[in-house]
Formats: sequence, structure tokens, C-alpha cells
Amino acid sequence: MIHSSLLASSGGNVFSSLLQGVAPEGVPIWAISLGAAFLGVGILVAFVSLVAMFSVWLERKVSAHIQCRYGPMYVGGWHGWAQTIADGVKLLLKEDLIPLGADRPLFMLAPAIVLGAIFGALVALPLAPGFFFADVDMGLFLILAFSSLTTIGVVMAGWASNSKWSLYGAMREAAQVVAYEIPLGVSLFVPLMVAGTFSLTEASAAQSGWFGMHWFIFQNPFMLPAFIIFFIAALAETKRAPFDLPEAESELVAGFMTEYSGIRWSFFFMEEYAAMFLMSAVGTIFFFGGYHSPLTAMFPESATSGVLYQLVCAGTIIVKSFAGVFVMMWLRWTLPRMRIDQVMSMGYKYLTPLALACVLGAAIWETIFTGDSL
Amino acid sequence: MSTSVTPRVYFQNVWDSLYTTFAGMKITGKYLMQKPITVQYPDERLPIPDRYRGIHYLEQEKCINCLACARACPIDCIEMDAIRHGKELEWVLFTLDYQKCMFCELCVYPCPKDCIHMGTEFAFVSYDRSEFNHDLLSYRGMSREARIRKREADIKKAEKEAAKALKAAAAAEAAAAEEGDEG
Repeated sequence: MIHSSLLASSGGNVFSSLLQGVAPEGVPIWAISLGAAFLGVGILVAFVSLVAMFSVWLERKVSAHIQCRYGPMYVGGWHGWAQTIADGVKLLLKEDLIPLGADRPLFMLAPAIVLGAIFGALVALPLAPGFFFADVDMGLFLILAFSSLTTIGVVMAGWASNSKWSLYGAMREAAQVVAYEIPLGVSLFVPLMVAGTFSLTEASAAQSGWFGMHWFIFQNPFMLPAFIIFFIAALAETKRAPFDLPEAESELVAGFMTEYSGIRWSFFFMEEYAAMFLMSAVGTIFFFGGYHSPLTAMFPESATSGVLYQLVCAGTIIVKSFAGVFVMMWLRWTLPRMRIDQVMSMGYKYLTPLALACVLGAAIWETIFTGDSL
Repeated sequence: MSTSVTPRVYFQNVWDSLYTTFAGMKITGKYLMQKPITVQYPDERLPIPDRYRGIHYLEQEKCINCLACARACPIDCIEMDAIRHGKELEWVLFTLDYQKCMFCELCVYPCPKDCIHMGTEFAFVSYDRSEFNHDLLSYRGMSREARIRKREADIKKAEKEAAKALKAAAAAEAAAAEEGDEG
């Protein structure tokens, strides 16, 4: 496979092999690795910013059209596409307020932890067979671990703000994430049993084939309920409505973000949209064929190492992920927010047992019908 | 969601939450596909009814400064004053205070010349209160044309009078000379 050959060349990612190609003779390997790391981080930051920008614009458009409005229409010309850039500039120029009673170091650290955790999670995300920031064997594990690390940042923000709204929001976030981590992880066992790997690149590669017939969602009857459970748990994990209790704006002002303003606030905002994209991408990779689509299936075997194929793969996974993001937005503007006891009972009494039942069913199914994945 | 947990209620709850979610998404999806019903306000506007009571406009040429509208106003928000020069009016002020005006249209009916109307303009935004004391005069005093006509007429009149005086002086001189000849 292509990525394994790239890995073998330098022990790094795609950028290190790229840099190795252009670097002059005599440059030490650690310099190349360091350069590759910086290049990867730069591209990752740019990618997250672009994703967040587009998602915010999409959210505003989707919400507007669901409410029979237009949404932003002027900035940038075409349907207000540059509205988010203007908003970003505004947020950068805003006063950086820190409340007098706040715990200053923690208050300033919290947005960085939240955003850093989401960058860390996105590192394991492959966009194409040869394009990843890091090909981690336990990629899914890494993503789940990092995305629950954002909770630490949120709790930190809620505690450091020294505000009752923030603290309530943080408590709710902690309770909610603890409750929904379980069904999120357990429901992912079902595709993991089919894939037989934690690696996202290998799981994606396993789903090639004409017109998505090898997508994991079609592999056994427990995939669809597992996906629904995964999607609901992902909504709760990313603090999206109807599970947006940590920032319930009608009860808690803005929850854990109440005391934040300007660029620090926008870090939380970016994290939310990046996390939505990340969860959609994980759902795409483990249920809906990763970077494989009818379009990529049309490439002949000889062309699969070309740049065009990689671009089509990256485009496929981005489009699929944004379809998931769109459904999340659609749900947000459809459902009212749940009560905290309803959220808890749904997580513990419904999703967790149902996810375990799905795992059991899928295990039995796999043993009987394929017998080789376990 | 019911709290008493029998298996039937449990699976009913699961079904209900899924079904209601999809029903809701169907409704919002329908609205998502629909054309928005709002308009892009400053660029396009909804049609305004003919008898809409917006900001007044004044046909200044027709107005005779009779104060009928100012007297009819229940909250005295109209102020007007003009100086009469023969047939032409030199306007001093005609203001309408939109901080007070309640758009009752009572000023429109008593006008003998039918020259004050309610317009269709409703957007009236200002950074300063004083600007709400709105000047309805499109120009101060006489119209530009009237002023030009008046100046031309004045010049012509002066020329005529000068010519007349010249003629009279010449005639007087001639008469004096004739008298001297005879005497």
C-alpha cells in the first residue's frame, strides 16, 4: 500500500517524504522531521480554520433557510461567503476581557487546551490514502481520547471563570461527556469488528469497491442502529443541540463560555465546529466508506497512486463529512434542547444498553457469517 | 419519555424518539427547501399600500400658509411661517416634529389646497434627536425660478425707469433750450 511505503522512507508523514525530496544533500534527518512537523501543524491549523469558517457560514445559512430567511447575503458578494472572515476580524479586534475574580492562568489556558485537543484529534484523520498527518495504529483510540480531552478544557473554563453560569455549564459538560463516551466508544466496536483495525487509514482502505458496496454500513444489520447510536453520542460529545446543555443559552447565558470574549471565545467556537467535522469524518470512515466513492472507484488500479486520485479521495471525505455536519445542523434547528435528567437517562438507560446489544448482535453475526474478522 | 420502565414502554420510547425526530426533520427539511419569505430589505422592499401613513410631503407651491393643518394637529407638532410678497410667499419654516407626530392624518383633511399628504416613506433614522424636527420645505423662500424671474423683472424695470428718466431729462433739457431761444 502507498502509505506504508511512504512511512518506510522516513518514519514520518507525507510531508517528511516531500521535504526529503526537495532538501539539499547533507541536511540531517531530524531537521527534515522537524520541518515536516511544522509544515504539518501549519497545514492542520489552516485546515481547521477553513473548516470552522465554512461550517459557521453553513450553519448560518442552514438555520436561516430553515426559518425561511436568507442569512448573511452581503459580505464578499456571493451569498455572504466572507461573513465569517469579517466576524473573525471583529473577534480579533475585540477587547480581551478577563473577569476580576477569575483564575487568570487557568482562564487563559482553557481555550488553548480545547483547541489543542481538537488539533490533536485531527492529526489521526486521513484525508486520502497517502495524505495524513500521522498514520497512527490506534487512530480511533487517539481521536476518542483527544476529543474527551476537550472536556478538561471546558471544565477548566467553567471553573476558572468564577461564574455560576460557567460552573453549571462545566458540570453539565462533564456529566454529559462521561455518560456519552460509553455509547460512543461501544457503538464504534461494531464497525471495528468488521474492519479488524483501529487505524483509520486501514479502515478506509478496506471499504474500496464499486458504488460503496463495501461500505461498513452495509456489512451487517447491526451497523445502522450502531451508526444512529454513534451519531447521537457524537452530538452529545460535540455539545450540539439537542444536547447543548453546557452552553444552554436560554438558561445559562452561554454556559462555560459566558465570561469569554473576543478571540478566546472564538477558540471555543472553532473547537465546536472542528469537533463536528471530526465526528462526522470518523462516522464517514467507519460507516460510510471513508474516502471511497463511486468517483474514486472509477479510477483504474494503475492511477491510484497519482495526485489526482488523492485529491478526489480528499474531496470525497470532505464532502461526506460536511454532509454529516449538515445533518447535525439540521437536527439542531429541528429539536428543542433536552432536560439534563432526560439527557442522563438517554445516555445511561437507552444508548449504552442498546449499543452493547448491537455489539453482541454484530459479534454473533460476524462469527456465523464471516468468522474471520474476530 | 416515560419513567416507568417496562420493556414495552422502553421500546416505545426508543421508537417515539426516533420517529418524532424524523418527523421534525421532515418539517424543517420542507422549510429548508422552500424559498425564503423575507426580502433583502434595503435593496428590495415589500409593496406599500397606497393609503399608508408614512412621512408627510408638502406641495409647497400650492400651500397658502393658512395654518389649517397646524390647527388641526392634536399634538401641535406642525410649525409654519411665511412672509407674503404680493402674490408670492417667502417661506420661513414648515417643520413637523416626528418625535411627537403620531401619523393620525388629521392634518391632511382640513387643507383647502390639498397640498399636505402622507407619504410612503417610513425609514427615518438619525443620530440626533433634533433631526426628527423634520423640515418639509424642499427649498427656502421662493423657488429658484421665481427668484430668477423676479430678478430679471427687477432689472428690466430698473432699465425701463432709467430710460424713462433719461428721456424725461432730455425732454426737460430740450424744453429749457427752447425756452431760452424764445427768451
